Amino acid sequence: MGNWATVREHERLESQLSIRTREIRHLVLTGLLAGLLLLPLLQVGNRGLTYFLHVMMMTFMYIAIASSWNIISGYAGYISFAHPVFFALGGYFTGALLVFIKLSPFLTAPIAGLLAALLGFGVGLITLRTRGPSFVIGTIALLLLARLLLDNWTWLGGSNGISLPLPNLPPHLFKLPFYYGLLFAAAGAVGLSYRIRHSRFGLGLRAIAQDEIRAEVAGIPTHVYKVLAFSLSAFFVAVAGALWGYQLSYLRPSAFLTVGMAADPLLMCLIGGRGTVAGPVLGAVIVVALNELMIALLGSTELNLSAIGLIMLLALLFFPGGIIGTLRERGRLPRWLDWD
Amino acid sequence: MSLTAFIQILLLGLALGGIYALMAIGLSLTFGVMRILNLAHGAFMILAAYLAFWLFVRYRLDPLLSIPFMMGTLFAIGIILYRILFSRLAGRADYTHLTILLTFSLALILEGLMGYLWTGIYRAANPPYAARSYSFGPWYIPAGQLYAALTSLILLSILWLILYRTRFGRAVRATMQNRIAAQIVGVDVNGVSMITFGLGLALAGASGSLLSFLFPFFPSRHWQWIAILLALVVFGGLGSLPGTVMGAFTLAVISAYATTLAGPTWSSALFYLALFLTLLVRPQGLLGKGEAP
Repeated sequence: MGNWATVREHERLESQLSIRTREIRHLVLTGLLAGLLLLPLLQVGNRGLTYFLHVMMMTFMYIAIASSWNIISGYAGYISFAHPVFFALGGYFTGALLVFIKLSPFLTAPIAGLLAALLGFGVGLITLRTRGPSFVIGTIALLLLARLLLDNWTWLGGSNGISLPLPNLPPHLFKLPFYYGLLFAAAGAVGLSYRIRHSRFGLGLRAIAQDEIRAEVAGIPTHVYKVLAFSLSAFFVAVAGALWGYQLSYLRPSAFLTVGMAADPLLMCLIGGRGTVAGPVLGAVIVVALNELMIALLGSTELNLSAIGLIMLLALLFFPGGIIGTLRERGRLPRWLDWD
Repeated sequence: MSLTAFIQILLLGLALGGIYALMAIGLSLTFGVMRILNLAHGAFMILAAYLAFWLFVRYRLDPLLSIPFMMGTLFAIGIILYRILFSRLAGRADYTHLTILLTFSLALILEGLMGYLWTGIYRAANPPYAARSYSFGPWYIPAGQLYAALTSLILLSILWLILYRTRFGRAVRATMQNRIAAQIVGVDVNGVSMITFGLGLALAGASGSLLSFLFPFFPSRHWQWIAILLALVVFGGLGSLPGTVMGAFTLAVISAYATTLAGPTWSSALFYLALFLTLLVRPQGLLGKGEAP
């Protein structure tokens, strides 16, 4: 009897706690979102924030990419190097429509997202049939194949690239629509990642990452789950690519389809915490901030690539859980960062 | 296409196939024995190519003669890397997954270092035979490709002798077939793994020496190489050494014909298409057994 009372008491406390946690998290998120939505208003009056807004946009873009990548490569544990392909697909598809039939990328970005999801679905069907490294090999091949195509398709500018007409806006307001668009893409990607993490589907993906044979024996349709995860993880990457390309006003294969771009989400998720909801967001914020700092202080050299590799190597060996995972292991993860 | 041209292209394709086989066999060996997918294999090839290039430019050391030196150096690097990075992870369930991430990081580190030290300029060593060619009847073969193909065949034969005629080779093959069973019958699986990893990189080193005068290279070139080599390894069957050799010859010959018909730009696309076709039709590859591990 006494035992049961203790258990009930414990459960009561637990549920109270979780209500409070949820309230705090709600408050933090609403505050953050309101702040981010209102931030550009400063620019309308002040005009001195262009660089700051640019860095924010870049952060949103990387949050969208890293959170999406995390769905297949964090939850399901299948490393993809093909995400630059979806990013480039977004940029080039909407860019071509803008150049040839004057359709704004803001309208066509969702279509690009659907196309990327379709491409991911097709490639996934082929490369995810077996367990093991066929998938990662397939994504490397896809990246290089896409680069080969875009380098040689002269109607899309080839390796010289293609320039896009800019939207008709006064210079100090130029970045605003992109700011909101990329904020939307980032919020969408994080929302999708959160929904998946808290669903049966997400549970299945994590089972696949831990032990695929057992997951299959337990009745999870592993092939379907993996293909869906890859497909879903392509959507917001292409949306971000569409907006980012338009904002650059210049599309060129060497800016979109590089191994460095493929390494970025991996680096961010390793730093933040792979397979968690908050990890990619945290990782994206940290990497973008560090990168801006490094370029400002040291300039950009080939050694940046070595630094990225070295950080990933050390993280893999000593902090495989990233910031979120390490903090959770030690029981010091603040509640507002615990979205899992 | 006339018969003469057909045979000519076949010759060039076969020579290329021997070189590809040497480049890919180390990759295949490392995966077969240890389940390490070495994404840095191409980067180590380019590193060796740079070393061979500088030895040639500075000291006039023929790239063919630098092969033993390159193999020794990369063997040592391989042993050190294996002890520092991979031995501590052995036995973990997500071992292959981790090695993909680790070797990807290594490839980035190497690429950055090479770019920093030697810039992104295209390089190619030009030993005296690079411009010569042998002709017999209506056919010809560039001397460089002939020497490289012969060197590859010699090295592949030595590897075959080691694997099929020595105790160590038996231990390697046993580990490839079944790691746990090999351990039970007394094979020092960890020692075998370490030496095999060194051997894999030594083969990348030898390939790099050949690459230095056969193909122009620059630091980020290794991605294209690793993609092509992985494609042909999957095509032949992941973890099967005879499959890798067969895959290399088949795809090299097909790509030689494709290059003549469609131009050199698209020849690497053929490897990627072969990869996707293999995964679609026969995921275990030409000579692979059952489901890929």
